[in-house]
Amino acid sequence: MSGDHIHPEPTTFLRKHVFSFDHKVIAKQFLWFGMLWLLIGGVMAMMIRWQLANPGQPVPVLGALLFPRTGGVIDPASYNMLFTMHGTIMIFLGLTPVLIGCFGNWCIPLMIGARDMIFPTLNMLSFWTVFLGGMVGLWSMFVPLGASEAGWTGYPTLSTTVGTQGTGETLWAVAVFLIGASSIMGGINYITTIIRLRAPGMGWMDMPLTVWGLFFTAVLNVLFLPVIGSAMLLLIMDRVFGTAFYVPASLLTGGSGGDPILYQHLFWIFGHPEVYILILPAWGIVADLLSFFARKPAFGYKVTVGAMFAVTVLSAVVYGHHMFTTGLSAMLGESFMLLTMIISVPGEILFFNWLHTLWKGSLRLTTPMLFAMGVIFVFGLGGLTGLYLATISTDIFLHDTYFVVGHFHLTMAASALFGAFGATYFFFPKMFGRMLDERLGKLHFWTTIIPLTVVFSTMFVSGYSGMPRRYYDHTSADYLKPLQHLNVLTSVAAFVLGASQLIFAWNFVRSRWWGKKAVDNPWEIGTLDWSMPTPVPHYNFKEIPVVHTGPHEFSHPALKGRDWIPQTEKLPA
Amino acid sequence: MSRDQSHPRARRALAALSLLPLLAAGVAAQEAAVVERYGPGPAASTFGEPFQYLFWLITTLVSVSFAIVLVLLLVPVLRDRARPGHKASYDHGRSLHDKRFTAVVSVIVFVVLDAWVLVVAMADLRDGYWKIPPPDAPGVLKVEVLAQQWAWNFRTPGVDGEFGTADDVLSTNQLTVPEGRPVSLNLTSKDVIHALFLPDMRLKRDANPGAVNVAWFEATRAGEFDILCAELCGYAHYQMHGKLHVLDQGAYDAWEQEASRLAVAAFDTEDTEAHWAWAWQE
Amino acid sequence: MTATSATAALPLPRESARARVDATLGMLFFIGSWSMAFGTLFLSFLILRDRVGTWPPPGIALPSFPLASLATAVLLGSSVALHLALRRARAGRQATGAGTGATAAAARGFGALWAVGLGLGCAFAALQWWLWWALLAAGTRPEAGLYESLFFGLTWVHAAHVAIALLALLWVQVGIACGRYGSQRIVVAQNSALFWHFMDAVWVLLYLGFFVF
Repeated sequence: MSGDHIHPEPTTFLRKHVFSFDHKVIAKQFLWFGMLWLLIGGVMAMMIRWQLANPGQPVPVLGALLFPRTGGVIDPASYNMLFTMHGTIMIFLGLTPVLIGCFGNWCIPLMIGARDMIFPTLNMLSFWTVFLGGMVGLWSMFVPLGASEAGWTGYPTLSTTVGTQGTGETLWAVAVFLIGASSIMGGINYITTIIRLRAPGMGWMDMPLTVWGLFFTAVLNVLFLPVIGSAMLLLIMDRVFGTAFYVPASLLTGGSGGDPILYQHLFWIFGHPEVYILILPAWGIVADLLSFFARKPAFGYKVTVGAMFAVTVLSAVVYGHHMFTTGLSAMLGESFMLLTMIISVPGEILFFNWLHTLWKGSLRLTTPMLFAMGVIFVFGLGGLTGLYLATISTDIFLHDTYFVVGHFHLTMAASALFGAFGATYFFFPKMFGRMLDERLGKLHFWTTIIPLTVVFSTMFVSGYSGMPRRYYDHTSADYLKPLQHLNVLTSVAAFVLGASQLIFAWNFVRSRWWGKKAVDNPWEIGTLDWSMPTPVPHYNFKEIPVVHTGPHEFSHPALKGRDWIPQTEKLPA
Repeated sequence: MSRDQSHPRARRALAALSLLPLLAAGVAAQEAAVVERYGPGPAASTFGEPFQYLFWLITTLVSVSFAIVLVLLLVPVLRDRARPGHKASYDHGRSLHDKRFTAVVSVIVFVVLDAWVLVVAMADLRDGYWKIPPPDAPGVLKVEVLAQQWAWNFRTPGVDGEFGTADDVLSTNQLTVPEGRPVSLNLTSKDVIHALFLPDMRLKRDANPGAVNVAWFEATRAGEFDILCAELCGYAHYQMHGKLHVLDQGAYDAWEQEASRLAVAAFDTEDTEAHWAWAWQE
Repeated sequence: MTATSATAALPLPRESARARVDATLGMLFFIGSWSMAFGTLFLSFLILRDRVGTWPPPGIALPSFPLASLATAVLLGSSVALHLALRRARAGRQATGAGTGATAAAARGFGALWAVGLGLGCAFAALQWWLWWALLAAGTRPEAGLYESLFFGLTWVHAAHVAIALLALLWVQVGIACGRYGSQRIVVAQNSALFWHFMDAVWVLLYLGFFVF
């Protein structure tokens, strides 16, 4: 296994860049793949916002290309396809590959002092499986009846042949299945690597919190992706073989039937842990970045780990809060409400520790630091609005309105994405040997967080005003016509938000090849990854390092002339 | 080129570009100013007041919490910036004092943000949404709701108070109910999952195929209100709306008499499609 | 598999105990993950079955109980054979130093017993196929209702995994013949057998759910 010996360097182009076993190359493959899909998902979001602000108007530029038969106008069925694929793409093909595939692969071996992942072949397979999943998802958009229209949640019976004919929905389920399989492979790799390949002296409590976040994410992935895998298998069988898992007897010509609500239970038993899967890496990264750029230890390291552990354990037992209007029994409903409120406590503890890390620090307001602090802002706002939705009597009104859309975009999209942005700006110098332009980075941050806050805060107002989600056109209902200007406001801010990402795209591409060359440790960090030369040799560590110090020993009073110390050095007495 | 010697053309371009967010802000402000309704409008059912109270309680708690977070975020930014000679305080937060502080804050947050809301919500639920009126209680109007792609079918028992008889009042996308009397609902669907959303009544419940859901509400004022669908049900999900007519008692009785009479006259024994009804579920 | 190939020095280095633990840990996590997948299917089975009044529902030609029981016995037998094969191989590891004769015998035993396990596994697959064929011939089709959906659906998912597991067992068999796997390099065989035992356990639960309870 890879922990011990140095493997020969790959020589062919295919071995170096395509079918590579090197976790650093695989990380970059995941990054490019994820960024491409984030772009596609983002363009879909722009189209959705266009239609909502200008119902029935042809989409500029893209309309003629994508919707020629309707003169550039998005028709209702295509609109449903857009929000379905937007959700599926952003979660499974965007955030997951970037946060977990890329940064999991990049950070784990380098931070724990290993030469590679413990199962390099499995690692390579995991990338190509998600690639295949993406291809199946892409294929689904070109079949005769088009891609899935049943929402990223795909509830039967809309997602069975009762509601949706055509191969698109089946291919969607296959794509989700494949992407899930890829994440399970990655999860097994990450967990085993962290358990087995930590360098001598790297105890569990000496690892950067980034690794802890990725560890808990991997555990959740390994445990709960199989649940949705099986749920998808049952859906695929219903669609392809005419089985009756989710189709009730009343819709069949004879015999006993299944239960569409079963799907909802299975989906959300996976679905709720999934949102923690997406946020845990970001939480770990944020905890580290705040410490690194406040030049101060991460406050309450063990408590932070404990809080992440508590969230991991509780994540499976709160899922019913997605189903408060389905007809759950009162007792079940109350239990889910209570548990959902309990799970907010470890989240709150994280905030406490983050803010305490900043308090009386020496803040270096670099772009990664801005994004880390940005997570505190957006996750604070998004997380607190979860209280309205955890409470059944307010959720009954707010369920399936834009209030929910605002809540999950702030907590999932914004927070996880800011974690990913922070990580990208932070690790870019080590990954690519150059610095991302700092001024463009700061501009990107401010031109993202301001419109983002406007977009999703307006959604809270829309939702509270009773605007349902997944509507093609709100002006067709009398009750919703007076709210249309909220849609326009949201869309204008969304277009600015979308345009701002071009700043990042430009910065990334330009800096990748022509950026300012980076020194080996530009941020002055003591973790093992920053002790590597740039570019990192394919075997990482020539000699496996011996760890003597924790990852957050900043501004120790005994340190002279500098405020940081590599983990391989002993703290002065 | 270094940061200090910005090209004049680049500066002009950046200045021009910075107008765009300002323009966007202007558009946004204008749109916000002409929104015709902020909020769901006055409630028209007994659920209205508890919902309002709880919504504003949560808003207050959440706003205060967020304000505290913002202050704690801003103070270090203003006070603790890195500068020559400035050192960060070396504190792992491992001391007993820190752990106790963490525990105390957690308990306070749970009690104030969660437990308080929980207690109020449970009372609202037990006195409200979950207090389904017993079907034999006097004055309860029973309504069977059959959702389909893409319309709402309603059936009330008519003057005789029994479902499955000739005087059952059937309507599509229109529901007429009396004011001040509990309306008990049975909901199901013909095809995919839909959800009955009566925003003015602050009520939402899913209509699932193959199962019957139970819900209720009591209207507190007469008027015309809206019915929306709140569960994605296909490409015409957004068009699945209707009107809820609430009539005061006298007007309702008159309406029901007339509607039942018309139903009996129009009753066609051959039309099995229209004879949908089911055994009432509690 | 001949005495000469077994007594010649193994061309590949012996695996370290550490590598064995690494690989086995990975397989155990994989099985843990797959337990959740099959657990989900079983949970669905129990929930849906609970909604049906009488089980099995009347009026359906049911799968053959004797055939299914035979298949179960065959499958359990294959697991036993694989287990014995690995025991023989491990004994061979201890016997190294006691002379090449003991090592050769161990290697032969390993290969032979593994072949028995693989053979019985293939027999199980054949019996499974016959079970479906007989059921379809009797007119019970997967789209006919809930019982049929559950039976075909769950056994198909299981069978897909059995197919992959059989390929793994075959890979190991070929590896034993070529000298790639043996007493000193056993972890791939061990983990393949672990996965096979897991498939075994899933089948036993299916058998109990459809034919016993």
